Amino acid sequence: MLLLVEDNKSDAMLTIRALKKHNLADNLVHLVDGAEALDFLFAKGAYSGRTIEDKPKVIFLDLKMPKVSGLEVLRIIKSDEITKFIPVVMMTSSKEEKDVIESHHLGVNSYVVKPLDFNNFSKTIADLGFYWLVVNNTPK
Amino acid sequence: MPAKVLCESIFIVANVQENNKMNKEKASDELIIANKEIAFQNNEKDKRAAELIIANNELAFQNKEKENRAAELIIANNELAFQNKEKEKRATELMIANNELVFQNDEKEKRAAELVIANKELLFQNEQKEKRAAELVIANKELLFQNEEKEKRAAELVIAKELLFQNEDKEKRAAELIIANKELVIQNEEKRKQAAELEEANKELESFSYSVSHDLRAPLRAINGFTQVLAEDYLEQLNDEAKAILNEIIANSNKMGELIDNLLEFSRIGKQHVSRVDVNIKQLVDTVISELKQLEPKRIFNIIVNNLYNINGDRNMLKQVFINLLSNAFKYTGNKEEALIELGSYPENDQCIYYVKDNGAGFDMRYYDKLFGVFQRLHSSNEFDGTGVGLAIIQKIIIKHQGKVWAEGKVGEGACFYISLPTT
Repeated sequence: MLLLVEDNKSDAMLTIRALKKHNLADNLVHLVDGAEALDFLFAKGAYSGRTIEDKPKVIFLDLKMPKVSGLEVLRIIKSDEITKFIPVVMMTSSKEEKDVIESHHLGVNSYVVKPLDFNNFSKTIADLGFYWLVVNNTPK
Repeated sequence: MPAKVLCESIFIVANVQENNKMNKEKASDELIIANKEIAFQNNEKDKRAAELIIANNELAFQNKEKENRAAELIIANNELAFQNKEKEKRATELMIANNELVFQNDEKEKRAAELVIANKELLFQNEQKEKRAAELVIANKELLFQNEEKEKRAAELVIAKELLFQNEDKEKRAAELIIANKELVIQNEEKRKQAAELEEANKELESFSYSVSHDLRAPLRAINGFTQVLAEDYLEQLNDEAKAILNEIIANSNKMGELIDNLLEFSRIGKQHVSRVDVNIKQLVDTVISELKQLEPKRIFNIIVNNLYNINGDRNMLKQVFINLLSNAFKYTGNKEEALIELGSYPENDQCIYYVKDNGAGFDMRYYDKLFGVFQRLHSSNEFDGTGVGLAIIQKIIIKHQGKVWAEGKVGEGACFYISLPTT
């Protein structure tokens, strides 16, 4: 399962399109903010019926989101025994140095600036999906 | 003596007569012999008596001589007795004199002992005096020193008077300064307020640029992305004009993305701290030139790199300066058949001056004051692509290094950019 946490509707559409084009969107969950992502991961609130052990293979996490930000979600994921091995790819619009440093302090697995040009953007998303879903291995 | 001998001889005759009575024959013979003997002895005794008389005379003479001698001796004896008496007198006198001398001697010994004591006393006094003298020498020196000090002090007092005078002046001045100071305190407070305001503004700008980098890029990405999706997914339904329009939208959104990136780079450098090291400019320039050449392999370049001094500065920032200077030179010589670019450096006072000269499009010196402004361009985008941030970034970096940047140019003939960096 690939979990996409993205509040920007356009970015989400373009990301899903790029993944679909490369046959990587078969098992994709799209959530629109950090709070919802945490409920999903820890089977709370609207997701209380979910099996907590059913963990995503990778999380594409937008950095700048309302309510609970990407950095806050990352901090909680990486500090919890259940979720800390789930690879997290931070997706952002800028390479602000302090965000790069903070993300790595919290244990991010990858930090990616979304390219402006759509061809580059598509290729980057496809490469990430392929790498984390197909190439990479994480503990069960 | 002859009388005695005579007696003895008579005794001997008596004995002989007795013997004759007893022996009458013999006696007569023997009497004859004895008579003869006695006659001989009588003769002998006469000789002897004569000799004794002579000897007696001799002895009488000697006796007289001895009496004379005794008389002489008596005289001599008297003389000696007299002399003896004289000597006794003298001895007595000497004894007296001796006693006197003994007494005098005792006196002298006493005196000598007294002198020894007196001498010791004098020696002691002498030592005391020497000590005292030494103390006086020290005391003298001390006094000399105090004297000098007093002279100095006196001289100082003279100066002090002058200082007093100056002091009064200074007090006046101080009073003025206190007033000025109060004024400055007020101004300072205002500046502090201004600084706080500026810091606030700066924070706002920071969050502004943070926001720009995120929030402006996201819609641009959407415009760019969906335009491209449209072009891909509905290609067959679009005519050539529609496709050209979509391309314009894509190109413009890309251009805007570039502008945002440059603007962010400009603001990022403003916030960055200069971390100084010794930078090998020659090496740095060679790298930049070879990278730029690779981007345009078909063009002909004549690049002259003269002596380039090392300089103390931030390596990344200085690299950015030379990237911008050289990519400008490459860009603005784009219309020339052969691009001529020359670099070099020379020391001037405590500065090192670097220059990059080209034979490109140049610029109009009338608009020189706009040259280093952000988003200011002296060429249209149709002529030369660009965002107008490159030179502004150069200026910002050089000012951060306490240096200067300036340029000379002539339209159609080329431009020369100079940067000066302090060597100390």
